[in-house]
Amino acid sequence: MREFNAVLAGVGGQGTLLAAEILGVAAVKDGLNVRVSEIHGMAQRGGAVTSSVRIGENVLSPTVLDGQADVLLGFEPLETVRNLKSASGKTLVILSDERIPPTELSAKNVAYPTMDEILKKIRQFTEKIIAVETERLAGKAGNILTRNIVLVGALAATETVPVSLVSLKGALRELVPAKHLEVNVKAFELGYEYVKKKC
Amino acid sequence: MLLLGNEAIARGILEAGIGIVTTYPGTPASEIGDSISAIAAKAGLYMEYSTNEMVAVEVAAGAANCGVRALTAMKHVGLNVAADAVMTLAYVGVRGGYVIVTADDPECYSSQNEQDNRYYALLSNLPCLEPSDPQEAKDMIHSAMEISEKLGLPVLLRTTTRVNHTRGPVTYGRLAKPSLRGELIRDVKRMVMVPAHARLMHVKLLEKVDRAKEISENFGHNVLARKGKNDVGLISSGAAYNYAVEAADLLGLDLGILKLGMTHPLPEKLIGKFLKNHKKIIIVEELEPYLETQIKAIAKDYAPNVEIYGKTEKPCFPRKGELSTRLVAEGLAKITGKKLQIDFERIDETYSQIAKDLPARPPILCAGCPHRASFFVIKRVGGEKANYPTDIGCYALGIAPPLNVGDLLICMGSGVSTAQGMRIATKAPTIATIGDSTFFHAAMPGLVNAVYNNAKITLVVLDNATTAMTGHQPHPGTGLTGMGSPSEKISIERIAEGCGVKYVRVVNPFKIKEATTVLKEALQHNGPSLVVFRSPCTLLSVREKRRKGLKIVPCEVSDKCSNCMACIRLLGCPALVTEKGHVRIDKALCVACGLCASVCPYGAIERRSGDQ
Repeated sequence: MREFNAVLAGVGGQGTLLAAEILGVAAVKDGLNVRVSEIHGMAQRGGAVTSSVRIGENVLSPTVLDGQADVLLGFEPLETVRNLKSASGKTLVILSDERIPPTELSAKNVAYPTMDEILKKIRQFTEKIIAVETERLAGKAGNILTRNIVLVGALAATETVPVSLVSLKGALRELVPAKHLEVNVKAFELGYEYVKKKC
Repeated sequence: MLLLGNEAIARGILEAGIGIVTTYPGTPASEIGDSISAIAAKAGLYMEYSTNEMVAVEVAAGAANCGVRALTAMKHVGLNVAADAVMTLAYVGVRGGYVIVTADDPECYSSQNEQDNRYYALLSNLPCLEPSDPQEAKDMIHSAMEISEKLGLPVLLRTTTRVNHTRGPVTYGRLAKPSLRGELIRDVKRMVMVPAHARLMHVKLLEKVDRAKEISENFGHNVLARKGKNDVGLISSGAAYNYAVEAADLLGLDLGILKLGMTHPLPEKLIGKFLKNHKKIIIVEELEPYLETQIKAIAKDYAPNVEIYGKTEKPCFPRKGELSTRLVAEGLAKITGKKLQIDFERIDETYSQIAKDLPARPPILCAGCPHRASFFVIKRVGGEKANYPTDIGCYALGIAPPLNVGDLLICMGSGVSTAQGMRIATKAPTIATIGDSTFFHAAMPGLVNAVYNNAKITLVVLDNATTAMTGHQPHPGTGLTGMGSPSEKISIERIAEGCGVKYVRVVNPFKIKEATTVLKEALQHNGPSLVVFRSPCTLLSVREKRRKGLKIVPCEVSDKCSNCMACIRLLGCPALVTEKGHVRIDKALCVACGLCASVCPYGAIERRSGDQ
């Protein structure tokens, strides 16, 4: 099996940790070696957060080498750009349209970059980009807080992660509290279908 | 099972039949205590969130000296707090196995420094184990317990953020029934450290170190991980080992690799033999050249001509921050002359072009955080002239603009005491801030000092009814124990009164007028004063409201808004954003605390729910 490296970039509170854990648990379900890196504590308070998931027989370190990400999963456009160091021509960038303006922008009364400006920056590294309307899809699923799961569904649809769909869904069921499960499963499906239809 | 390093350590605790676990929460160690707290009552072991790390060690040391297996977990700087107990406990030793987990934080992801706690092993003479991944972290709890009981000595388990906060597959062993039954077997010479006994026990400790060396020579986690085919060898430990192996593979280097799982005392003979078999030795370790200096000393006896590369004379790896496969690969390339297949410089160049105008996103106080209201009031009262020593917790984020409160921060509890020195030196009004959990942890001696020496300072306790930064653990003010059982809350204001503080008030910081009046009075008081700004952590109160099914209706900007931007300029709340030059409230972030509504000079922000 080829090694798989994913970087998950977002803002503290967006649910990047849960998304990374779902990928990790799914890998273990499929009997694969995996490492997931997380950052907790002060950095989580509304700051930029990066997790990574590495799957493969020889994987030891939990962090992804610069330029070596197979997937950059961006939960927020600016944070996707901030983590482009992990990307190269082979990287697939999947990004959410959920924009969280850093307070620095509001304080200076500077506009958040447009999606075109964001995409232009990403294209300097890779042409493989999928933008997902997580806001609309999560709303459709029934809870705006499921945007992270929409993105996991979208990632699953690209078939880049070397784990089975059954295990991914199984991991989702294990990790999401029962009372929120239905809406999260729906969010996953909507993200999945969105990419299947679009690509 | 996929486990976080800290969860794996918790599993190790259950498999080792440990009877008592004590901790003070601190990143990156927090989830060890939290995982145990969640199941302690059911699993039949005793767990507590102690008031600080020294208390945690002492409680555990008491139990371990009555024959019960014990473990204490803390972040690296926690060991500074506990050091007084640990240094002499090394003389006394233990009867039941005792492990101290110290979690270092290279890169200071969530810490005030990045000290290398392996030096505590050297300083105290205690054995030290270093796991490199979650599986080893679990397994080494067993090994540490065995070593501890064999030697009658506490054992340090030193982890780093990338072990504590990495998830990896973990194979379970069998659960053991925790034993909490111990007895005191009186042994005054061993256990009561008066000078005459301490002199004797120091000798005993040095004998134990000699026995520990033998254990280290045969320790299963001190292994030749790769044989290698040339004359270059690499020695590593902990998380650094992972980077070293991946970096060697990246460069196609066939190196002999010696992996050290026990880094105090070092296996001298094993290392000596490895040195003899190679011409060049590369030492890959995070932070200080701890292994390097000791291995150089070993080389003098075993292989005086071997060339040693690390961080000192021929620095190939940084002595600060976290390592990475890239940093290690670049170091290895420099030493061996091999060329890297990845053009990192080009990646850096392209990245620096797209990143140069990227707005920063440092951690900030959450939308609705009561500390924002507190700092707004503090700045309003103290202005630019006052001194603002602060402390360890979420409220250290008060230094961010536009609040800009925080002038000096060293360690837990330093705010109240540094305030006294700052006041003497400047004669300026001095307002120190500290959180509730930190108050119990380390502020009381400083407060007594202020009272007794009549320091004219004001201590503001930002009481959000939890240990917020580390994940909402209980503390003596919360009314809940680590076992999940209720306990009588200890009142901060009554402690202050008991210490002799004459001006003590409690106020909700969201009531800006009232809070301002109180703080002004406190500053004018002739002597130390203490104000408790009390309002629960917003993450907890929002969770509680959601649980009760209460709706949170975000605040809204009405057409009375004149775009003066006062709300944004004064508060810096992440829910206040500008869009095409107008203020807008981010509905996903706003929790309707109403602080912006209180400060808006035009009454243009409407608050529709909430009860602050």
